[in-house]
Amino acid sequence: MLMLPEIIVVVTAMAVLVADLFLTERLRMGVTWLSLAGLAVAAGAVFATPMNGSMFGGQFVVDAVGWWFKLFFVISGFFTVLLSMDLLHGRTTCRMRGIGSPGEYYTVLLFTISGMMYLVSARDMVLLYVSLELATIPLFALAAWRREDIRSGEAGLKYVIVGALASAFILYGLGLIYGLTGQISLDAARVLKGSPAFWFAAAMLTAGIGFKLTLVPFHLWAADVFEGAPMPITAYLSVASKGTGLAFMFQLFFRMMGGWVHDWALMIALFAAVTMTLGNCVAIVQHNIKRFMAFSAISHAGVFIMGFLGPHDYGVPAMLFYLLAYIASTLALFAGIVWYSNETGRETIRDYRGLSRTNPLMALAMMLALFSLAGIPPLSGFVGKFFLFSVAAGAGFHWLVGIAAVNSTIALYNYLRIVREMYIEPVHEDGPAAPASWSLSITTAVLTTALVLLGIIPFFYNAINGSTIAWLSAVLPH
Amino acid sequence: MGLLSWLIAVPFITTLAVIFTPASQWKAVRWISAVGTGIQLALTALLTYRYWIAAAPDTTATMVAKLTKLYFVERIPWFESLGIQYFVGVDGISVSMIILTSIIIFTGTLASWNVESRTKEFFALLLLLVTGVFGVFVSFDLFLFFMFYELAVLPMYLLIGIWGTGPKEYSAMKLTLMLLVGSAFVLVGLFAMYHVSGLHTFDLQALAGASFSKDFQTWVFPLIFVGFGVLGALYPFHTWSPDGHSSAPTAVSMLHAGVLMKLGGYGALRIGVYLLPEGAKAWGLFFMGLTTINILYGSLGAVMQKDLKYFTAYSSVSHCGFVLFGVATLTVMGLKGAVLQMFSHGIMTGLFFGLIGMVYGRTHTRLIPDMGGLAKVMPWLATSFYIAGLASLGLPGLAGFVAETHVFLGGFFGNPWSNPTATGVLTILATMSIVVTAVYVLRGLATVFQGPITVAEYETLTDATLPEKIATGMLIATLVFVGVVPQYFITLIEASVMPMINRLSMGS
Repeated sequence: MLMLPEIIVVVTAMAVLVADLFLTERLRMGVTWLSLAGLAVAAGAVFATPMNGSMFGGQFVVDAVGWWFKLFFVISGFFTVLLSMDLLHGRTTCRMRGIGSPGEYYTVLLFTISGMMYLVSARDMVLLYVSLELATIPLFALAAWRREDIRSGEAGLKYVIVGALASAFILYGLGLIYGLTGQISLDAARVLKGSPAFWFAAAMLTAGIGFKLTLVPFHLWAADVFEGAPMPITAYLSVASKGTGLAFMFQLFFRMMGGWVHDWALMIALFAAVTMTLGNCVAIVQHNIKRFMAFSAISHAGVFIMGFLGPHDYGVPAMLFYLLAYIASTLALFAGIVWYSNETGRETIRDYRGLSRTNPLMALAMMLALFSLAGIPPLSGFVGKFFLFSVAAGAGFHWLVGIAAVNSTIALYNYLRIVREMYIEPVHEDGPAAPASWSLSITTAVLTTALVLLGIIPFFYNAINGSTIAWLSAVLPH
Repeated sequence: MGLLSWLIAVPFITTLAVIFTPASQWKAVRWISAVGTGIQLALTALLTYRYWIAAAPDTTATMVAKLTKLYFVERIPWFESLGIQYFVGVDGISVSMIILTSIIIFTGTLASWNVESRTKEFFALLLLLVTGVFGVFVSFDLFLFFMFYELAVLPMYLLIGIWGTGPKEYSAMKLTLMLLVGSAFVLVGLFAMYHVSGLHTFDLQALAGASFSKDFQTWVFPLIFVGFGVLGALYPFHTWSPDGHSSAPTAVSMLHAGVLMKLGGYGALRIGVYLLPEGAKAWGLFFMGLTTINILYGSLGAVMQKDLKYFTAYSSVSHCGFVLFGVATLTVMGLKGAVLQMFSHGIMTGLFFGLIGMVYGRTHTRLIPDMGGLAKVMPWLATSFYIAGLASLGLPGLAGFVAETHVFLGGFFGNPWSNPTATGVLTILATMSIVVTAVYVLRGLATVFQGPITVAEYETLTDATLPEKIATGMLIATLVFVGVVPQYFITLIEASVMPMINRLSMGS
């Protein structure tokens, strides 16, 4: 049963919604357990599905790349639930007003995960578009979840408007392609000749992807939405919107316009250069940790798309591996940020001063995550970045490698600002934060271990690499 | 696990042991570090012995043949599809650098005996840094090399930022960022070689077999040389060095100036000159010119300094200039001299910075004009200081002389690919720095140690303690040993620079 993981996620979402109606306040935790269990079973189901197969006459297909994406989505969903539970059930020192309704929250979260999972399996335009909206629309609601906070409402509204604009671009592009081929199948577009209409459609689709993946100049929504959303949703956005954007880009660039990726390479390289440079440079002046993370996420988008440039047998596994490393590092860092915000309500970078003295383990974990994001060896972020840079170099974009490597230095400066507050500055005068709850401790421990080991043990990369070779020969004509 | 893996593992295991020691047991932390680095020293001695035996001479000819190849090689596939492997080995250059590092880290640990604030974190970071350094010196896979290289640079930020003095945060950030911009250049070069070679391997020896075109080498070589040159304090990218060294705590200055800056010269030699000989020929004269500025500018800068650490830092810029100058001469003598200079400067500057820390710990000032007559109360430290100073101005009988002579001879006689007049003139200019060095070393030391005691409180100061005596004694013994019987080291190094020379002369 190929669709089993998706079905499990959707059924869990329904079950959470219904259970929420019947559970008393005392047993409200049940919805959390249910969501966690559902996502864990879904992860198992993803493992159990084969890496190739199709349903509904080829409209729903599981392949190696889709398989990995689904696994990443379910895992990030699982950890997001762990990050959210303290806040939703009011078990934090610093109560955030207006946040609650855990049942509905988890339902909405699970729906966006299911949308992301359908997205990677879709093989026709309609299913692709519908699942993209299923992945995005619940996020609008989640961004606006802090009902009494005006910034959260602003985030939601901004996200809706920009999301609608992105959808318009995508629909225009898809519509043009449909007009050219007369078919809704994604693969049909690959035989198209390079007509003006085709290139116009490609430009529209690139812009749409740009919004989802926060490529400059389509990144403007990110900082405000990240800042307004509740902290766990900020975490989820920074991994999920990246993952969805990347999956969507895989679908369009490899599957739909597979024959044309090479002609698009220079533009991708320019996007990558501008995106990472602007993201890193603007992050220098950010003080709020959420806005800081938004620009960090933007700059990483630039790093990700370097994988589309070069020899695809390197590019595809490199992008998937870096996504895995990025998810582990970002969520590990956010576990620390969520914990600190939960216990103290502090959200600026200056507020992290002296953390290494008061909570040495949490500070260590956050430092490792920051260094991994900055690409410092031997952490997984370094290995992933190294592979992606290598892809760009393989395509002859040596100037881009230079820009990217210099950008890594700027990024390191940014991340060192936080490390400096934690390790060098004196302790915060308002006193230390309470120790982390078990859920955040587990999340931090597991993800920090993962971000260290992923880069050292070659198993994970080899597994991704081994399974995508067949995918490439099937998808890309050589 | 082979000998070389242990050489990487021992400092790392010591790091872990330090991390898992409770913070309240900070005195135990010092002992753990001392034992760990002591074991490392013993392992190094074993390595040197076994290397010498393995490459034992019958006749000179077989000696050269034997020393040219790598010993104690371990290869384990890692990211196989990308041609990345765990590939370690040593040749004569690596062995001499490993000896240097072991001595410096052991004495550095002893010199840090009085670090009492956040001791555990200090030693953990110091040992992590040195793990990276050992890793670089044994790696023969470029991925592995680069990984260890960055691992060696980064802990420096926290070491200077937390335990430093003066404008420590500024210096730490400047140092880290400048060095990483340097490694960004290197990275571009590495990827270019990886892809253009068409071999899809990061194996250094395999890449040496690739035929890179002259044009390609001409644009990649400066990237590699400048990239590593930043760490080797190449003018005009040396500006991190005086600030960084003067802000850093004692052991960190020792390790940084003594060992870490040598990674720059080592990388430029091992990767730049070895893999890209045609590029080296095209750029050799240019970099000789740049490093001549290094040598002169550094020594003139040192004349003007009032702070002992800035004084030594500028002197390091000058002396590290000799290393890169030697590399840029592209002659047997020059390359040998470069490696010898890496070794002797490492020991010498380690001794300098160690002594400055010891003096500062007593007088609580590093300003040269504020001190005077200290030789009367601390004869051991004063004598050691003078020996270090004499070594740095190239007194025969100490290590510095041997190294600098090689470098100058190599530069003066020139190579077939550069204008002989130009190399000769540059060498003569560089030689002038010895006079300047004599001026600042003798004048500075005379002010600090000779004459009457200027401040009454200095009357009660004590001489070196036992750990300090062991540390300085070891370093001085090494300086004298290399200065008096340099032939062991020269043999060790000579054969290992031959492959580079062979590649250089092959193309012409």
